[in-house]
Amino acid sequence: MTALAESRISRTGDEQRRHRRHLMVRHTKNWIRMGLGIIFLIGMLFPVYWMLNISLQGSGTTLTSSVFPLHPDFAGYRTAIADQGGHLLTSLIIAIGTVVVTLVIAAPCAYALAQFRFRWISWALLAILISQMIPGIVIANALYALYQRLDLLDSIPGLIIANAANAIPFGILIMRSFMLGVPPSIVEAARVDGAGRLRAFLSIVVPISRNSLITVGLFSFLFAWSDFVFALTLTTKGTIVPVTLGIYTYLGAHVANWSPVMATAVLASIPAIILLIIAQRYIAAGAVGGAVK
Amino acid sequence: MIKKRPVLRRWATVAALAALTPITLAACGGSSGGEDSSGSGSVDSLTVLDYYTDDPGHSDIGKQLSQCGTSVGVKKVVHQSVPGPTLIQKVLQQASSKSLPDVLMLDNPDIQQIAQTGALAPLDDFGINADGYAPGPKAAATYQGKLYGLQPGANTIVIFYNKDILSKAHVKPPKTWDELKTAAKKLTVGKQYGFAFNATADYEGAWQFLPPMWTNGGDETNLTTPQVAEALQLWKDLVDDGSASKSVINWSQADVNDQFVAGKAAMMLNGPWQIPTLTAKKVNFGVVPFPVNKEGQTSVAPLGGEAWTVPMTGDKAKMAKAADLVKCMNTDANQLLRAKQGGVIPTKIKVAQQFKQEDPSMAGFVDAVATARARTGKLGPKWPDTAKTIYTGMQLVLTGRAEPADAMAKAQAGG
Amino acid sequence: MSQAQLAARGREASPSAPTGPTGSRRWRHWREEIAKTLFVVPAAFAIVVLFGYPVVKNLTMSFQEYTIRTFFTGEAPWVGLTNYVTVISEELFTKTVINTALFTVGSIVGQFIIGMLLALFFHRHFPLHGVLRALFLLPWLIPLIVGSAAWRAILEQDSGILNVTLAVFGIDPVPWLTSPDVALLAIILVNIWLGIPFNLTLLYSGLQDIPDELYEAGALDGATGWRAFWNITWPNLRAVVSVVLMLGVVYTLKVLDIILGLTHGGPANATQTIATQSYQRSFVEFKFGEGAALSNILIVISLAFAVVYLRATRRQVDE
Repeated sequence: MTALAESRISRTGDEQRRHRRHLMVRHTKNWIRMGLGIIFLIGMLFPVYWMLNISLQGSGTTLTSSVFPLHPDFAGYRTAIADQGGHLLTSLIIAIGTVVVTLVIAAPCAYALAQFRFRWISWALLAILISQMIPGIVIANALYALYQRLDLLDSIPGLIIANAANAIPFGILIMRSFMLGVPPSIVEAARVDGAGRLRAFLSIVVPISRNSLITVGLFSFLFAWSDFVFALTLTTKGTIVPVTLGIYTYLGAHVANWSPVMATAVLASIPAIILLIIAQRYIAAGAVGGAVK
Repeated sequence: MIKKRPVLRRWATVAALAALTPITLAACGGSSGGEDSSGSGSVDSLTVLDYYTDDPGHSDIGKQLSQCGTSVGVKKVVHQSVPGPTLIQKVLQQASSKSLPDVLMLDNPDIQQIAQTGALAPLDDFGINADGYAPGPKAAATYQGKLYGLQPGANTIVIFYNKDILSKAHVKPPKTWDELKTAAKKLTVGKQYGFAFNATADYEGAWQFLPPMWTNGGDETNLTTPQVAEALQLWKDLVDDGSASKSVINWSQADVNDQFVAGKAAMMLNGPWQIPTLTAKKVNFGVVPFPVNKEGQTSVAPLGGEAWTVPMTGDKAKMAKAADLVKCMNTDANQLLRAKQGGVIPTKIKVAQQFKQEDPSMAGFVDAVATARARTGKLGPKWPDTAKTIYTGMQLVLTGRAEPADAMAKAQAGG
Repeated sequence: MSQAQLAARGREASPSAPTGPTGSRRWRHWREEIAKTLFVVPAAFAIVVLFGYPVVKNLTMSFQEYTIRTFFTGEAPWVGLTNYVTVISEELFTKTVINTALFTVGSIVGQFIIGMLLALFFHRHFPLHGVLRALFLLPWLIPLIVGSAAWRAILEQDSGILNVTLAVFGIDPVPWLTSPDVALLAIILVNIWLGIPFNLTLLYSGLQDIPDELYEAGALDGATGWRAFWNITWPNLRAVVSVVLMLGVVYTLKVLDIILGLTHGGPANATQTIATQSYQRSFVEFKFGEGAALSNILIVISLAFAVVYLRATRRQVDE
């Protein structure tokens, strides 16, 4: 029941006291949940904390740092900011581009494979699944040859296409499993009212599938953001350098300077995590239920 | 039914077209796309590929390259660096798409393997020779009698020891294996291990095993000899009696250095590239060559360092300029400059002696490099398979899965 | 309009209803089919162009003697099944397969159960639940090389924080990465850690798509807690669960970087999986034919799971 509905109900004194206690218990439970949530998160994020810890200790070694950064040293951050700012922007552009391209191409396909009755759906799904079984390096090597002919090396669109290609099959599979639950009757109602298939898709299916679209968008962003293989293989001149490649400024063939590496990783996570938090807000409940009503 | 067939046929056409695309690409991909020009006249730019990604190495080499470019008459030198383990992959990709760089840096044990494929141009064709060089670098870069690369700087591994810790414990730097074992045992106190080395399951681990193996007379052409077994026994003894951490099978040379810097290891087996870090962290260190097992043996260490090569790009004018660039990077002045920047020893014997005079603290390294042995000296392109056997056998011994006497045999059998 | 009326009207206007063979009807039917196919064409094009070549090449490479030489000369003699025979008859192969099985099963079970429990936990809205859920994705934002460095430091036998913590409880230092017996467990644990955000986010989204009304109706009938989960949540979540498990298996079979970063496949080949062996063959030893053979074996194993998934999903569609 919504809070509004509850407040409209008139109650006796007894009922009011019971209701208030019920609310208090629920509020306490909520705070306990939040506390538990934070504890789980701490357990989960301990390696991330470790990364932060090392980034603040100028020693630059991973094996000998103390547990708490008692004397924080921001030298690593100074280096990272000076060197990697442009690389962060490159990564951001590529990641956002990947999200857009992935969603635009994968969503209609997912819907078609979920709702249309094609005879070859199983084969299509099999092909999509097989594409996910190939090791990333094998794909990158093949793409290198293709990009060389198409002159797409060292280009941001090139990297966007490569990362999107990687994410599209994943997106199709995930969104399809969500779209299986969209009642066909809603779409048919719109079509009966004269909307074409595309318009019905855009105005009915897309809003209902908001959760899966955002989730797939999230993962496409993460795939592209943390990609190393394509960044390495599909660039040759050093003009386009995503941050996963940029950290090698501090990692040589024989010597590793971890402090700026960790600092870069921390800095790189900040804009990304902000985007993720914003996106998570939109994964709301009841998108399907509301539409059916 | 009539309705279904047209749809099916239409779909079959789409599918066929779609299927043809990758097959056409597969047919075209990899074949000539290349610039097979014998080129004439001026060369505007040269591309250089190496794995010096981190600073200051990257900028130091970059500066040297552009200065050499100017001096050989090339306007621009495009310098690309990729992470170490990915260099060869990059080279292979570029080879199959005929886009190899004009100058290619290769780690010395890889030279013969790449030369065997015909991808490198023999430097003799350009009038370059390795006279006056230490024997190690020359052997590594020679395949079937021809010279394929010129290496300006070399390094090797020696025993670093912490002078403060050793003097406090009244321990002298070890000269024999027995001394090494006793010293390490004595220096293992509290959280501090006596000795640290790298024994990972990769070519780095194999490289670190070569000093004991070669010093004891073992040879890479026959690993199942008692001399190799004794070397394995040394590693095993050090770990078994607690002088070296069990984690050595997981530590890279960088990790070993971290342990040494943090005072968690009194001695370590490592190379001169760590010196900048050691001086920055103000560690009072000394070096000795790897100890010998029995009297009369000489300490032998493996040759490290990278060489510059000229790939066969098909552009004769560019290749000639590339060869000039390689020669320039190897001049006496440039070798000395590179050595002073830290981490390598000049490969020309005379220049190395000069360097030793100018910087006496590097004397130990200079002497070690003079006698350093190339890994590919005897096995050539077959070295990687042997390296795999070496590190597999070593890991079997250190994890107790095999005895030193039959570890190598077991590793060869694919254990 | 009620649902039934909507459905009825929909069926009437549905273009897939059988019609007579009149010209305009057939044309409209064709247009329908083209419109429907157009939904799929961009994705189909992308997948075929970008994945078609690697799949075909990987297959053909496994039947050829493809070495470092091939890249420069283009020669790759056909050797039939030799590569497959070579890799399967190696002593290490059995161990590799067992490791792969243990690694995959261990990772999937751990990731899924923990992901599911966390998704259920976050399903109730409490303060900061959105922010916390987003922060759970942080492990995926970290470059893997950084992540493995952090884990190597944590799992370090002598001074790693995990053993230090365990020592407080009186447990002897565990040789996480240095003992062949424990190393596989260590990488399974790290892989579970890596997989939790994936499972959590997808399962949570799936949970959000289940209408609240179902729970309210169920509560009226007395179904709460475990009963509610079994009778309401689980059936509605099946489509998402099967795709999460399916993709989980496919991705876990491919896992490479974290194993190489933590143990290099050691100690003494204790953590070698088919994926790491395939990488080792191709990109360290440059025996690409054998590496391709191994990765094709991996694909066949994945295909077996894919077929199971396709059967399950077809049944779901029909329901």
